[in-house]
Amino acid sequence: MTALAKLTAVETKLLLREPGSLVSILIPLFFLVVFGASTPKDDTVLLPMGMSIAVGLIGLYLLPTTLAGYRERGILRRLSTTPVKPGNLLAVQLLLQLALLAAATALQLTVAGGVLGIQLPSRALPVAIACALGTAAMFAVGLLIAALAPNGRAANGIGVLLYFPMAYLAGLIQPVAQMPASLARVGEYTPLGAFRAGLAQAWTGQSPDLLPLILLAAYTVVISAIAARCFRWE
Amino acid sequence: MAVIEVANLRKTYSGRAVLEDVSFSVQEGEVFGILGPNGAGKTTTVECVEGLRRPDAGTIRVLGLDPVRDARALREDVGVQLQQTQLPENLKVGEALDLYASFYRAPRDWRELQEEWGLAELRRARFGKLSGGQRQRLFIALALVGDPKVVFLDELTTGLDPQARRSTWELVKRVRARGVTTVLVSHFMDEVEELCDRVAVIDRGTVVALDTPAGLVGADAGPQQMRFTLLADTDPVPLLSALPGITAVDRDGAHVTVHGTGDFATAVAARLAQEHLLVTDLRIDQRSLEDAFIALTGRPFDH
Ligand SMILES: Nc1ncnc2c1ncn2[C@@H]1O[C@H](COP(=O)(O)OP(=O)(O)OP(=O)(O)O)[C@@H](O)[C@H]1O
Ligand SMILES: [Mg+2]
Repeated sequence: MTALAKLTAVETKLLLREPGSLVSILIPLFFLVVFGASTPKDDTVLLPMGMSIAVGLIGLYLLPTTLAGYRERGILRRLSTTPVKPGNLLAVQLLLQLALLAAATALQLTVAGGVLGIQLPSRALPVAIACALGTAAMFAVGLLIAALAPNGRAANGIGVLLYFPMAYLAGLIQPVAQMPASLARVGEYTPLGAFRAGLAQAWTGQSPDLLPLILLAAYTVVISAIAARCFRWE
Repeated sequence: MAVIEVANLRKTYSGRAVLEDVSFSVQEGEVFGILGPNGAGKTTTVECVEGLRRPDAGTIRVLGLDPVRDARALREDVGVQLQQTQLPENLKVGEALDLYASFYRAPRDWRELQEEWGLAELRRARFGKLSGGQRQRLFIALALVGDPKVVFLDELTTGLDPQARRSTWELVKRVRARGVTTVLVSHFMDEVEELCDRVAVIDRGTVVALDTPAGLVGADAGPQQMRFTLLADTDPVPLLSALPGITAVDRDGAHVTVHGTGDFATAVAARLAQEHLLVTDLRIDQRSLEDAFIALTGRPFDH
C-alpha cells in the first residue's frame, strides 16, 4: 500500500474510534427522530435544521479539535521528519471529516424519507449546491479555529463557545418562526444561518434567493484565506 | 568519513542568542553524545541538524547534504526521535509501526522491529495506555523503521525508572551494533559515559568541551582519593607511601586519606590485607563527568 492509502486507512480507524464522530452523527439524528415523529409529512423545516446541526458540530467542533490536537501533540512536526509531508495528514483529515458529514447527512435523509415518511425535495441539485457551499464555509471556520487555538483543548472550548450562539442565530435551537424577528434577520447573515436559509429555500423549491449562497461563498473564501495565513505547523 | 558536519552554528530567538557558536562533526558508525544542562541549546542544535529549525548562521552537512535545501533526499536516510512528541491516543502500536514503515522507500520489516524492541505483545495496545518506557521504545523503533543511516535520539531516557533506563541503553547498543550513526542528546552523565564514543558538552549555546567520555573525566587519573578508618593502632604512612601511583598519604588519628592516580586503590587494599590491617568506612572518590563539567564551566551541573 502506498503511504497515502495507509495514512487514510489509519486515520479512518482513528476517526471511528473517536467518540466525537459518533456524537456528531447521533445528535442530529436524535433531534430528527424526536421532532420528526409528530411533524406533518410536508414539513420543510426539520431536515434543513438537522443537516445544519451536523455541519455545525463537525465543522466547529470535531475538525478544529482534531487538527489542533495533532499540532499540539507534535504529530505534524514528527511527520515532517519523514518523507511524507504533514500537509498530507491535514488533507486526509479534511476528506475524512467530509465523508463523515456525508454519512451523517445520508443517514438523516434515509431516516426522514424512509422511516418518518417526510417528503424530500424533488430537485436534488439546489440542495447539493447549498450543502457544498455551507460545508465549505463551516469547514473554513473550523480551520480558522484550528489555526488560532494554541492547543486541542482550547480549540474544543472555542468550538463549543461558538457553536451555541451560532446555532441559536441560525435557528437550530428554536425554529426561526419562533425567534425574535430582529435576531432571525441577523442570523441569516451568519455562516450557519445562511446555510440553513439556503437549504430551506432549496427544500421548498421556491425560486432561490441567491443571497445566502453568495454569503456562503464569500465566507469560505475570506475565512479560509485568513486560516491559511494564520496556520502554524508547530 | 564525517556523516555530520556542523560549523559555527548560530541561532537567536527574538534577539536572544540561544546558540552562540556550535561546531562539531560526527563520524560514521559513531555514537555521539550532546550533553548539557536544561536550556543549554541541545534540542535547538539537533533540530537545526535535522532541518526542523533554520539556523541564523553557520553551515550544516548531513551525509553531504544541506538539511533544509535537500530535505527531501535526507528524510529517507535520517531517523528522528523528538524530545516532545506524542501519537494519537487511540493509535495502536502495530498500526503506528506499519504506518511509519509505509512512509519510506526501503523500510525495515516493522514486525521484526516490533519483536526486537519488545513491542510484539503490545501491538494491539493503544498509545494512550502505554507506560513511559513503552512509549519511549515505540518512539525509538519508529525512528529506526525507515532503516536510516543516521538517527537522532533526544532525551531518550528522561522520565524513566532506573531499570527501564538500563534496558533502553542495551537497545541503543544494539542500534550501534548495526552500524547506524547515532546522535544522542542527554542531560545524564551516566548515560553518556555508558553509551557514547565522543561527547560534545554544550553550555549556554557553546561547545565547552569535545572528547571521549574517558578523556573528559581524565580517566588516566583514575580514583583521586581513598579514605578509610584504621581499626588497628598502626601508622599507615610508611606502609603505603611507597606503593605505585600514590602521591600522598594523610593521617588524622585513625582517619586516613590516600591520594593517588591510576589503579592505586587496588594496591592499597592488597597491602592492608597483607598486613592483616582491618579498616572501616572505606570510600573511593571517583572523578566523574559531573566533576569534569564543574571544572569546565565553573558551575555545578543541575538537571
Ligand atoms: N521556539 C523557541 N522560541 C523561543 N525560545 C526558544 C525556542 N526553543 C527553545 N528556546 C529557548 O532556547 C533555549 C535552549 O533551548 P533547548 O530546547 O535547545 O535546550 P535544551 O538544551 O534542549 O534543554 P532541555 O535539557 O531542557 O531539553 C532555552 O532557553 C529555550 O527557552
Ligand atoms: Mg532539549
